[in-house]
Amino acid sequence: MEFLYLFWEFFVIGLVTIGGGYAMLSPVTQVVEKYGWMTENELYNFVGIAESTPGPFAINLATFVGVRVGGTTALGVFGSILGALVTTIAVVLPSLVIIIVVTKLFDKFNNSKYVQGVLYGIRPVVVGLILASVIRIMCTVILPNLNLKAITGEGFKQFNWISLIIVAVFFPLSRIKIKGKKIHPILLIVLSAVVGVVLFGAIGVTQ
Amino acid sequence: MKKVSLWQIFITFFKTGLFTFGGGYAMIAILEEELVAKKNWITSEDMLNMLVIAESTPGVIAVNTATSVGYRLRGFFGAIIATIGVVLPSFIIITGLSFVIELIADNKWYKAAFTGIQACVTILIINAFIKMAGQLKRDWFNVIAVLAAFAVATFTNFNVIFLILIGGVLGLIITLIYEAVRKKKQAVKEVVNDGDIDKTIESDISTNVSSDTLNGNLNAQSDIIDSATDGINENEQSGGEK
Repeated sequence: MEFLYLFWEFFVIGLVTIGGGYAMLSPVTQVVEKYGWMTENELYNFVGIAESTPGPFAINLATFVGVRVGGTTALGVFGSILGALVTTIAVVLPSLVIIIVVTKLFDKFNNSKYVQGVLYGIRPVVVGLILASVIRIMCTVILPNLNLKAITGEGFKQFNWISLIIVAVFFPLSRIKIKGKKIHPILLIVLSAVVGVVLFGAIGVTQ
Repeated sequence: MKKVSLWQIFITFFKTGLFTFGGGYAMIAILEEELVAKKNWITSEDMLNMLVIAESTPGVIAVNTATSVGYRLRGFFGAIIATIGVVLPSFIIITGLSFVIELIADNKWYKAAFTGIQACVTILIINAFIKMAGQLKRDWFNVIAVLAAFAVATFTNFNVIFLILIGGVLGLIITLIYEAVRKKKQAVKEVVNDGDIDKTIESDISTNVSSDTLNGNLNAQSDIIDSATDGINENEQSGGEK
């Protein structure tokens, strides 16, 4: 049954999200929460991994969720692999069909005011969803107890200063250009991992 | 266009999937280099068209591009082989890695590293937002839609898939209304000017069609060029590090 849910949810996500990668993060977060498949925290940890392993970000994300959910079934390791297969195929299948049709009818598609109208409406929504991901992940990092859907004073009691400082230092670092080139995201991730190991592991800073 | 074997398609896309990090535009720059410059499988104009398709159809941009190129090269089976090729490396690597993650998830050092990495991931997503927001037209609909989608997705449990669908319907309605209003205005203006209704309708249609397609094409083309250069920059960056 779990596999059916996996297939359906990722099929729908693949069918409606335009803009790839980070656009899919919001719907995927919602889905894993809805079924209790994993915590937001686990998912965000994986975003760092997905970004620093080869392959399209969105496929990495789908595969990961599939492995984790499939692994919780009675099938064990086989379930993990089956889960990964199911999510990967589900997320790719809608594109495969749509692309084949659209490539055939390219000129009609590109000049159709209906298609352009729909895209005009979807683009800002996707950008809004990415903004929502920004705020949600910001909260898990800095205010881990805050529930954005039911904000209480309780949520502000734990405030992770150190993480806020890391964000504040890394943001300008990610935007500067050295000889016209930005610092590569993978390098930033490795750097942040080192900072994390040193601060929270070696020195033992508590938030 | 040359006849390319399915095996060649598979290998090429497998390699592309294996060596691009982050996906999307980074991958497109590599495909351009590989397929247009080196192998001469497709023209750069074809590549641009495929990018337009990949960006404006649902799904993962990198996979969409692969499917589209595969289809152009060898039809239906080309599309399937290219898609499998580009997805397979991720599939293998992530499946393997997930088991490792599960084993070490409670390790102190792993947790420490990921406390740092999460802060960095925040920034990556902020940058994705800045980039995509920058590609939007500056108009009221876009501003309101971004904020509304953000608010609903953040503070309620409303299904975000429905948000996307609602956005699509609204965009279509607004575009059609805008079109109709503009047509009417133009028609009224020209009736006042020369009073010849037949002529008015004729010229109205022709100007509308030509300016529309022209604008649409120009916008799309400049978008592509922007994103392609972005991709190439990213590509150079990763190349530089190796």
